[in-house]
Amino acid sequence: MTESPVTVQTFFERARGGTLTGIRCGGCGALAIPPKELCPECGQRAWSPVALSGDGAIASFTVIRVAPRGHAGDAPYAIAAVRLAEGVSVLGRVVDVPLDQLAVGLKVRFRPLVVRDRSAIGFGPA
Amino acid sequence: MPRAEAGAPVRIVTPLTAAASPAVTFCYHDAMRRVAVIGVGVTKFGKHDRTSAELFAAAAADALADAEMPASRIQALYYGNVVGGETEQQLHTSPQAASVLGLPSIPTTRFETACASSHAAFRHAVMEIASGASDVVMVGGAERVLNVPTADSTEYFAYASDASWEQTLGLTFPGVFALVARAHMHKHGTTEEQMAAVAVKNHKHGVLNPKAQFQKEITLETVLKSPLVADPLKLYDCCPFTDGGAALVLASEEVARVTRRPIWVLASAAASDWMLIGDKRDLSRVPATERAAAAAYRQAGKRPEDVDVVELHDCFTIAEIVATEGLGLFEPGTGGLAAEKGWTSLGGKVPVNPSGGLKAKGHPIGATGAAQICEIVTQLRGEAGRRQVDGARTGLTHTLGGNTATVLVSLFGRD
Repeated sequence: MTESPVTVQTFFERARGGTLTGIRCGGCGALAIPPKELCPECGQRAWSPVALSGDGAIASFTVIRVAPRGHAGDAPYAIAAVRLAEGVSVLGRVVDVPLDQLAVGLKVRFRPLVVRDRSAIGFGPA
Repeated sequence: MPRAEAGAPVRIVTPLTAAASPAVTFCYHDAMRRVAVIGVGVTKFGKHDRTSAELFAAAAADALADAEMPASRIQALYYGNVVGGETEQQLHTSPQAASVLGLPSIPTTRFETACASSHAAFRHAVMEIASGASDVVMVGGAERVLNVPTADSTEYFAYASDASWEQTLGLTFPGVFALVARAHMHKHGTTEEQMAAVAVKNHKHGVLNPKAQFQKEITLETVLKSPLVADPLKLYDCCPFTDGGAALVLASEEVARVTRRPIWVLASAAASDWMLIGDKRDLSRVPATERAAAAAYRQAGKRPEDVDVVELHDCFTIAEIVATEGLGLFEPGTGGLAAEKGWTSLGGKVPVNPSGGLKAKGHPIGATGAAQICEIVTQLRGEAGRRQVDGARTGLTHTLGGNTATVLVSLFGRD
C-alpha cells in the first residue's frame, strides 16, 4: 500500500504554519485538494504534494448570522468559496474585510486561522 | 393537463448535458419486476411529543390500512433517520422502528444520506422487489428535532458537511445554499424577490394541506423583511425544523394488481457529487440533480415535459429554483423567472410542491423523501382534494442530501 502524501492532519498542520498544500497527479498532472486516494481524472494513485500560492478570488460568499452552537460567539462571520490562482477551490472564513465589501471576484489571500482550537482556512485582503 | 400558454418558457426536451454514467443507476430490464406503491401514510408535520420510532410507526400503520394489507405481509423495512444519534441519543433506529410498529422479526436497514435518507431507502426497497427477493416491503422514515434548541439542531445538521474542512469554519446549511444563491444571482441575475416567490407559493399550497406544519399564507414582504440567516437567505427562505414520520408500502406487480389503486414506480435513480463545497465546479448548479434526473428519465422512457406534478427538495427557496432547472423543467437560469411568473404554482405549467413543500409542509429530514412520495402517490390517485393537480398521470420526486452531494429522483405513473 502507498500512503497519500498529504493527509487531513498534515494539510491542516501545514496550513497552521502558513502554507496551503495541494496534490498533483503524477499520471495526468491534475491538481486537487487533499485528501484523495485516486486521481478523479485518470484514476492513478501517484500524488505529489505541491505548495499553493494562497492567492485567489471569491467565487461565492455568505455571512452566517445564525450559527451552530459552537460558533455562536463569532456571528456574524463571512464564509467564501475561493478559487485559487492554480485553479482549485477551497472554502474559508474571510477576515479583515468589511462585510459590506464582500463581492464575487474580490481578490483575497490565504491566512491561517484557528477556530475552536482547530486549524482552519482563512482569507484576508489580497 | 393543459400546458399551452403564450410566452411559455422553453422547456428542455433534448437529453440533458450531464449524461448519467451507468454506475449511478439501475434500469428495469426483462429479468426485473415492476414495482408499485400500494399504501401511503404520513403524520401531521410539526412539533410532537413522541419519539421518532413512534412517529414512523403511526405513519406505517396508516400506510398498511391504506394498502388494505395485514402487517404480516411485510418482508423488510428500509428506513431513513438522520440525527437520532444526536437528538434522541438513539442509534439502531431501524429495528427499533420495526419493533414499535409491531414487526420485530423482519430484516431492517437504516439509510443515512442526510436529508435524502428515506428516498435512498425507497430506491433500495424498489430494487429488492424488482430483483424478486421480496414481494412486499415497507419504506419509511422519521425525525425528531424540535426537542432540542435551534442552535443545537443547527449544529447537528451541519454534521452532514465535512468535519475537517467545513464544520470547523462554522458553515451551516443555510450557509451552503446561500453560497448557491449568490452564485446563481451572479451568473443568472436571479433576484431575492424571485426566491421569495417560491416561499409565497409553497405557503399558499401548504394552506391546502391539513398535514402541513404551516397552513398560513405569507406575502413577498413577509419574506423580504424577515431577518437574515445567511446572506442573502432570510428566515422565510428557509424550511423549518420539523418532527414527523412517513411510510410507504411497496409491492411487486403480481401483488399490486389485486390492490385497488397501485401507483407504478417508473424509475428511481441516485447520483452524487463532490462532498467539499470547494471541489464543486459551479455552485450555481447541482450536478447530482442533473445526473439523477437524466438517469430517471432514461429508465422511465420519459422526458421533462411528460411530468404533470413535482415534489422537489425546497429546503431553501434557491434550492427549488436550481432543482427546477436541474430536472429539466426550465432552462438553466430561468428557474427564478418560473417562480416569479407562477409557472410552478397549482394551475401553472408544471405545479411544483403542491403539498407545500419542505418550506410549508415541513422537513423532518429522515422522513422527507418518503413523505414526498406519499404526496405524489396521492396526487396520481386523484385523492389530493383541494390541492389536486387535475388529471395528473406522471409525477416526479426529487430529494437532496445535505450539501448537494446526494440526490435521488424517482418517477411515478398510474394505469
